[in-house]
Amino acid sequence: MKELNVEALARVEGDGGITVTLDGKKVKNVTLDVHEGPRLIEQLVRGLTPADDLNVIPRICAICTLSHRYSAIRGLEKALGIVPPEKAQLTRELMMLGENVESNSLHTFLLALPDFLGYPSAVAMLNDYGDDVKRALRLKKFGNHVMAVTSGRIVHGENPILGGFGRYPSRKELEEIKLKAHELVPDAVRDVELFASLDYPKYSEADMVFMSVNAPKKQYGFAGESILISNGKEVNVEDYRKLTNERVVSHSFAKRSLYQDKTFTVGANARLVNMGKRLDGQAADLFKQHFDERWLKNPLMNNLAQAIEMLWSLEHIPDMVDTVASLDNPPIEKPTRQNGSGTGAVEAPRGTLYHHYDIKDGLIDAADIITPTAQNLDDIEKHMKLTAERMLAEDKDDEEVRLGLEMVARAYDPCISCATHLVTLKRV
Amino acid sequence: MTRQSPKVGIYGFTGCAGDQLMILNCEDQLVDLFGATEIRSFVMAMSDNHEGELDVAFIEGSISTEEQLKRIKEIRERSKVLIAIGTCACHGGPQAMKLGEGRFEEMYKKVYGNAKISVSKAFEAQPVDAFVKVDMYIPGCPIDKGEFLGAVSKLVAGKSPYLYKFPVCTECRWKENPCILYQGKFCGGPLTRAGCGAVCPSHNLPCVGCWGPTDDLNVSSEYELLKEKGYKPEDIIQKIKKFGGAAVAKLVKDLESKKEANK
Repeated sequence: MKELNVEALARVEGDGGITVTLDGKKVKNVTLDVHEGPRLIEQLVRGLTPADDLNVIPRICAICTLSHRYSAIRGLEKALGIVPPEKAQLTRELMMLGENVESNSLHTFLLALPDFLGYPSAVAMLNDYGDDVKRALRLKKFGNHVMAVTSGRIVHGENPILGGFGRYPSRKELEEIKLKAHELVPDAVRDVELFASLDYPKYSEADMVFMSVNAPKKQYGFAGESILISNGKEVNVEDYRKLTNERVVSHSFAKRSLYQDKTFTVGANARLVNMGKRLDGQAADLFKQHFDERWLKNPLMNNLAQAIEMLWSLEHIPDMVDTVASLDNPPIEKPTRQNGSGTGAVEAPRGTLYHHYDIKDGLIDAADIITPTAQNLDDIEKHMKLTAERMLAEDKDDEEVRLGLEMVARAYDPCISCATHLVTLKRV
Repeated sequence: MTRQSPKVGIYGFTGCAGDQLMILNCEDQLVDLFGATEIRSFVMAMSDNHEGELDVAFIEGSISTEEQLKRIKEIRERSKVLIAIGTCACHGGPQAMKLGEGRFEEMYKKVYGNAKISVSKAFEAQPVDAFVKVDMYIPGCPIDKGEFLGAVSKLVAGKSPYLYKFPVCTECRWKENPCILYQGKFCGGPLTRAGCGAVCPSHNLPCVGCWGPTDDLNVSSEYELLKEKGYKPEDIIQKIKKFGGAAVAKLVKDLESKKEANK
């Protein structure tokens, strides 16, 4: 029995590796190993006030900090009977657009692109692709700026709270964002063209099931009250457990998810498969131009999906800014009850993120957090196994197989510290 | 310039990767940073990593498995200077908020049940200095770009960095913010280390204590200030223990015993 290892999977958020177990030429097993330590966040927040919970849970992950905060806010506000003012809702949507630009530019350029072009890192690409890397850094910086203006700082901003915001962004701050967003649209278009021009290897192709939050009013967006499944079904977010079916597996502390006994995919590709027709602007034109049957089978297409989605987010920021700026600053809405339950679901850049809370006498009685990476793990392993089998059948050498597997894992934009239930996995 | 650029390693342990992300968030300085130092290992950002002798190791995250414990000891052995970055590495972070309460096994069971899981043994998260010597602390949740880059440029020049020791209140005064405590909001600022630019009070929100406790000499009077405002010692501990873990509990215990001795 032979093992092929990627000990430290580089260019992902968190600490993980890949192990392929081979029996002769036959691939017995492929696992995404996680060396991340356990934090037991859901247990730690029990007994805290909802406000304290909002300080702690964004720390699950720095890259999706605002998605965690927003998902928790949605669940907690439902539980506490808070109806957020319109301006709070829209400012939250604006912050999600910022996080989408920041995270998608970070992942596509700094984490994923070096593989496609044959470099160890984006910094190593500077000599040959300096303009592209600098363009990505400009977009990332802008995404961070939108996050800072709305949430208070670029990572773990505390400004979005239950019932509203500590301080709403000023008209001047909003105007600056609008101007800059207009200026960067051509950069984002060039990014889409670059990612559309890449060669996406076919080794990982297989039928896929996609899930994403259904944005309201038949628009594209990152939050909603039901989940769309690519088989045509729609499920209320309060029934999320029927979709995610978390279970403990013996070889990992990572809890796993299956839907109707099948793996499923969450992320930008899932959003575009389910809601791509709702896009508008240049993002819609480019989506129509580049969407084809590969998207339904090949997880690597998530890279192009993220580039198109980033353009949509950028194109939407000016309109969102105008609407937010036109509204007066409302007072913070207070809880209307001290007991209740609620589930929030948002689309983090890497997929659907659920926060469910039970509140008893004003304190957190139970918390259930299901991250996109936890939902994707089974799917990642399925597509990695196919990749290993097909590459070995073509007599690819170990190095090529390793790279092929890393590209599949990275395409999901995994956030390993995000998956709260993950812990060291060691194979014997 | 004949000085050799320092060999640097950037490592992540249990946490949110926010401090490593903040390094990547230095978009305007990233290229210079990689130029002024020789980054030998930074797994989050590059795939050609070389583990060997280091001048400086930056450590993010707390230590929470046997495997991590082995790794942090190994990094310490080959690093001249080891710097803890971020509140998790410095104080344990949120995952250490119940440190010392003896509830880890019970909480762990609630998450995983009795399932048999064949992995490296996990334990309650602790700060890096619970296991190895730490030469310098740059706290923050996440670290502040300015403080981090300032420290790196001093280190590159062979000088000692200047790090904030005073509480958030000082930064609030610099910003001429109205005091949140006087608005009847329970603010962690008096006991929390500065460096964030008093970001929460600047948004009309109480400081959540995410940089961990200040080591300001005047901390006992700040603690008394909170008590004068009517907050109970146990609530004060709860307020800032969310991020400070054992460090906060120890701080408050010291303060109480100092008071006893002065009686």
